[in-house]
Amino acid sequence: MKHQFVDPKSSSGNKGEADECLFEYLHAEIVNYVLTTSVNTGEKEEDLSRLESMGFSVGYRIIERLTREWPRFKDELDTIKFICTDFWTSLYQKQIDNLRTNHHGTYMLQDNSFRLLASIGGNGSKQYLRESPRLLAFTCGLLRGSLANLGIPCTVDAEVAALPSCKFNVYVQRI
Amino acid sequence: MTVHNLYIFSRNGQLLFYTEWNRLNKSGMTQEEEAKLMYGMLFSIKSFVNKISPLDPKEGFLYYKTSKYTLYCFETVSGLKFVLNTDNGAQNVRELLQQIYSQVYVEFVVKNPLCQLNQPIQSELFRTKLDELIKKSPIYLNRSL
Repeated sequence: MKHQFVDPKSSSGNKGEADECLFEYLHAEIVNYVLTTSVNTGEKEEDLSRLESMGFSVGYRIIERLTREWPRFKDELDTIKFICTDFWTSLYQKQIDNLRTNHHGTYMLQDNSFRLLASIGGNGSKQYLRESPRLLAFTCGLLRGSLANLGIPCTVDAEVAALPSCKFNVYVQRI
Repeated sequence: MTVHNLYIFSRNGQLLFYTEWNRLNKSGMTQEEEAKLMYGMLFSIKSFVNKISPLDPKEGFLYYKTSKYTLYCFETVSGLKFVLNTDNGAQNVRELLQQIYSQVYVEFVVKNPLCQLNQPIQSELFRTKLDELIKKSPIYLNRSL
């Protein structure tokens, strides 16, 4: 990811492109590696749980770094708003475009041009629609891990209707 | 001014991509044959230019011109070759080729984890973006020929 990590407020990286795409290439290789080493159970669905759990532990750690200068969050919505703005900007150089909630623990985060999908397809192209979920599993885990460390246990899934836009659904577990 | 067609070759001479805009004369052979012929000619011209050059050839072969069209060749450091045929009046084609490489090929092929490198390019997004770039360039002026 970027040097923005150190200071999320100073936007626009001009350190050259290499550090920006390093994460993208590494992510792509991790996805390929996980897919080739995962045991094929003969099911149609690819096994993306390892990617998801990797994302979880990364997200869990990142939160310590990103929130160290933040006061406590007021409530759940406040936390989600932080995820949509500062968290997303630090990781993907843009904010979440649309946030919806039913006020009962379900949140829908929509990114109209998700960075990991932006080079895959666009303008309603259906070409790589089937392969795209594997590029989202890590980020789902990332969200779940971050929220877990912020005290919100939840499950996260993602859906893609038209590249390069995607939706992350966060279901908070009520105890 | 107009742009005729574009070939992209891998460093091993494989045709990665071909597309055409205003091409009136067909070569009368299959695309593979044509690509082999084209690559063979480029290879020969390159070594010819480098051997015959009386001075240190820095960039080597850049383009050739016939009475009807000009062929521009841009080779990246990694050995990819972008070959573009335009009419004789076209200007700044090298810049355009550089843009095709850095703004389209790198962005939508190299950064696409679902694209195999050194294999023919399948991505539809790549084709769309390439078409956009060419059509908004001043070199592309769709004259009725």
